Amino acid sequence: MAIARKRSKWRVWRDVIYSLIVREVKTGFGDKLGLSWAVINPIAFIFVLSFVRGRLDGGETYSMPTFVFMAYGLLIFQLFLQTFNACTSSIKRSKPLFAFRQVQPISPVIASGIFEGIVKVVVMAGIALVMYFLTMEIRIDNPLGVIASFINVWLIGIFMGLTFGIAQLYIPELNKFRNMMTRPLFFISGIFFSLRDIPQEYWWLLDWNPLLHATELSRFYSYSSYGKVGVSQIFVFELLLVLVAFSLLFYRATWKGAISR
Amino acid sequence: MINLVNVTKFFPSALGNQYIFKDLNFSIPTDKNVALLGKNGAGKSTLFRLLAASEFPNAGKITSDKTISWPVALTTGIHPAMTGRENTRFIGRINGVADLVEYERRVRSFSELGRKYDLPVGTYSSGMKPRLAFACSIALDFDVYLIDEVTSVGDASFKKKARRALYDRSNNASVIMVSHQTSELRLFCDSAIILDDGKLVYYDELEEAIERYEAL
Repeated sequence: MAIARKRSKWRVWRDVIYSLIVREVKTGFGDKLGLSWAVINPIAFIFVLSFVRGRLDGGETYSMPTFVFMAYGLLIFQLFLQTFNACTSSIKRSKPLFAFRQVQPISPVIASGIFEGIVKVVVMAGIALVMYFLTMEIRIDNPLGVIASFINVWLIGIFMGLTFGIAQLYIPELNKFRNMMTRPLFFISGIFFSLRDIPQEYWWLLDWNPLLHATELSRFYSYSSYGKVGVSQIFVFELLLVLVAFSLLFYRATWKGAISR
Repeated sequence: MINLVNVTKFFPSALGNQYIFKDLNFSIPTDKNVALLGKNGAGKSTLFRLLAASEFPNAGKITSDKTISWPVALTTGIHPAMTGRENTRFIGRINGVADLVEYERRVRSFSELGRKYDLPVGTYSSGMKPRLAFACSIALDFDVYLIDEVTSVGDASFKKKARRALYDRSNNASVIMVSHQTSELRLFCDSAIILDDGKLVYYDELEEAIERYEAL
């Protein structure tokens, strides 16, 4: 008979998350395109949109190429939205697996988050590769800053997904609300504009949005001549910190009740 | 021993909280094969899920130094888009099986799926999926197996085989079993717990318990 090893708690978590990622890779993409679609689709989308926009306005926006300007906006936005959506739905999707004592609701969230993160890294590499072949300039003045922005947004997606995914087990209607809520984000997260295009007296309408901050900051970290106007790295960090604390507390208080539903 | 300490479990409903257990204290022996008797809706399945830690009590806790299976033959964790082998690996990894190849081999031969083992579970006939699920759990070593109407799995010959395997297991592991067929219980169990009105009562003799239960 198969003997189960005695494992440390860390080892159990590692095994569970690893097998959930494998499961996600194997089941998430049923058709022939499979996993490659998760990479090709965003690359094509970002590329076409950025390229068309770059053509339209002579190619420069506040001293950085419009292509890069747009690409950062779209990358940040997609990183957030897809991580958030995947993490949220992962809890409900994995409900049958909670029958195994080793699997807790946060496990599929971590697995989905890691999976989306890997996909997005490949997407970024793909875009860089295409830019290289088209002999476009690739310039990143502050790589650490860019990485920090992306990780920030990624974590915001994961932890918001955790909270929403659990809350959704209590209130199923939240799912409809979620779609309604994320749609306007496409237009207010600074994908098509910079905050400085907006008159300062209206900034308060937009500058609560961490995605706008992260987008503008990543542009600035890439081309320091772009400058940063009205955005702050500290704001994004603080928001993330509050979000992490809140969602973990919420999770701890509710997960055992949530899986009985 | 599986110890239930001040266990309270309820389900919220439109009619207020439906209590299954209120401040329940009980010890379930793990050195014997125990039948779990109770009417429909008495909470047998809920108790099972609590023991398997598939669900958690609203208050109190359940402790044990034994390893307890998930409800055997539960097919919910099996994904239709993955092959039998992939599903086996998934369950094996989660449970920390040391030798996955050997585990796969056992599951494959026990489930009698043959070449279909490497096809997606979605293409299986309705009897094959529970067979896979049963094989996945019986090929793992647990101290306590939770069995819910297990011998309803598959056709007559597989049933016989399942019963045989379970019987072999029950020599060095113990079994907690729910079944509406008393012949089944008599085959595996020597003692019983009657679950009625949120209370558990332990009987050392299965026959005595069945008598009491039928008088309920």
